[in-house]
Amino acid sequence: MSTSHEFGFFRLLVRNLANHPYRNIATIFAFACIAATLFSSQFLMNGATASLDRGISRMGADILVVPEEYVAAGQTVILSGQPSSFFFEDTNYDKISSIHGVEKASPQIYIATLFASCCAAPLQMIAIDPENDFTIAPWLKENPGVKLGKDDMIIGSAVIQNVGNDLFFYGHTFHVVGILGQTGMGVDNSVFIRFEDAYVMAEESELKAVKKLIIPPEMVSSVLVKVDPGASPADVAREIQDQVPGTKTITPNGLLNTVSGQLGAVRRLLQGTTLAVTIVSIPLLACISAMVAHERRKDFAILRSIGAKKTYVISLLFAESFSIAVIGGLIGIGASAVILVLFQDFIASSLNIPFIIPSPLAILVNGITALILCTVIGGIASLYPAIQISRSDSYETIRKGES
Amino acid sequence: MIETHGLTKSFKTDSSEVVAVNNVDFEVKPGEFILILGRSGSGKSTLLAMLAGLIRPTAGIVKIHGNEIGDLSEDKAAEVRAKEIGFVFQFSGLIPTITALENVMLPTLFYPDGPGSRSRAVELLRKVGLSERENAYPSTLSSGEMKRVAIARALINNPPILIADEPTGDLDVDTEIEIMELFSELNREGTTIVTVTHNPDLIPYATRIYGMVRGNLVRDPESFCFRTWKAEPGIPAGKE
Repeated sequence: MSTSHEFGFFRLLVRNLANHPYRNIATIFAFACIAATLFSSQFLMNGATASLDRGISRMGADILVVPEEYVAAGQTVILSGQPSSFFFEDTNYDKISSIHGVEKASPQIYIATLFASCCAAPLQMIAIDPENDFTIAPWLKENPGVKLGKDDMIIGSAVIQNVGNDLFFYGHTFHVVGILGQTGMGVDNSVFIRFEDAYVMAEESELKAVKKLIIPPEMVSSVLVKVDPGASPADVAREIQDQVPGTKTITPNGLLNTVSGQLGAVRRLLQGTTLAVTIVSIPLLACISAMVAHERRKDFAILRSIGAKKTYVISLLFAESFSIAVIGGLIGIGASAVILVLFQDFIASSLNIPFIIPSPLAILVNGITALILCTVIGGIASLYPAIQISRSDSYETIRKGES
Repeated sequence: MIETHGLTKSFKTDSSEVVAVNNVDFEVKPGEFILILGRSGSGKSTLLAMLAGLIRPTAGIVKIHGNEIGDLSEDKAAEVRAKEIGFVFQFSGLIPTITALENVMLPTLFYPDGPGSRSRAVELLRKVGLSERENAYPSTLSSGEMKRVAIARALINNPPILIADEPTGDLDVDTEIEIMELFSELNREGTTIVTVTHNPDLIPYATRIYGMVRGNLVRDPESFCFRTWKAEPGIPAGKE
């Protein structure tokens, strides 16, 4: 038995593709646009969802209780870290702690910083009780060497500072002892300190800062609540609102609904764009594919005449189409991934969505999905030419081509 | 080797039915060099296409090695062509995107267990006098060179039958002689050849000659005046 080792289906495929570089580049570009659109939209949606998941898990609580007129501000603190200060009486904390279904409660004080030398914009400062807090407790548990001690500060990932740096707020010096992982949400733009240090900072601010910081005595900004295992956060939240007048509750589900509303518009925009690109490209690619098949019908007829089975010829046609689709798809995915990673902050802030880079698995699934869509479109575009070729009379085609 | 019985092919047009090949009974024995001579439009190419299983007859049968090719599916017929028949088209029929050598190797893709190989392709190109043109693309070859590449391609799987449609059409006299000498050599080596032509100058190369007139195969050479067939009344000169 002897076969051709250097010439086969693949070589024939490559030679055919190389024969019309400009037309194929144009087709590859069309597929790249489809893949880039699909990949980008999925990437952004996954990034937003991942950000939300991570941010909410970082919140660590099942319920956030805030003054009733500050629900929107509370959500903003969690979602974007936009600085805000609000308070209610800390007796509410005791009331909340005693409600049935509450396992643990932890108060927080929100302080909007002034412009500081460290940062381009004011930050959200959050004073916590490290003993009872569960906002950064999971992170502290993962980093056992870090302790939030006197005048220590743990900063969000978007605060561009290093561990060991000293930062000045309201004239008070804090020492950075830890940097939280990125969440794409408000916590990235927040800094965490102890209650005691917050009160000292407020006291000192009258003399040391350009503006006095006022933390009303016996007041807190919010209370984080962890519910008993098996208890329903929604039921407990309702109970809190009933039993503690002047408060409102924010739950992860409620946050998700809020963000979903924002994401919904973005999702519709991205899905609409993907659909439009796909709908426009299928007939366009079908025309190109039909044109190529028509131009090469004599070649295909010759192959049939010298012994190629119909399946071989149709496989060749589809392989050409799939190759172009895959090349275009990979280029589109690669280019959009680079752009999305490089400009993630700009894109996320432009679309007003929380965002972090999705997990490698999610990126892989996105990429494969986009590639599959490209190949399906390539296949659909090649269907009509394939049917035409399979129905054509080889000898007649050659005879017509000769004359 | 090849047999036909009552082989007929008609084509329907808008207003009538044209009988291209009419009730042809025909046999080719191994080792023969058959020349079918006929004017353009006489049905000789249609007859060849049916012999190769490229088109199905309207009536009658074609047998190759005793197997009826008209009964086969399109893919089975393609398999028979890949193994049993080398086909040379009137024009080159080369694939423009691949080199001369790759064109010659093309049928090996459809008969991977056959005798075709790269070394055989190189050898065949040498045999047709194109060893220097292995890597040339069809667009850079002359008509005669393309025809010779097509012949080499037809022989790559070492088929017992070579079918050629106007193998010397549009070639100059010197190239025509070269091609026919090559055919004669192949025939002497055992390849059975069936060729159609409108050129009576090819008669000396054949071992048996037929005429094709208005779809009818003329068996009796005496009844067909080959040397004067251009003057046959009622058949216009010129191409179809």
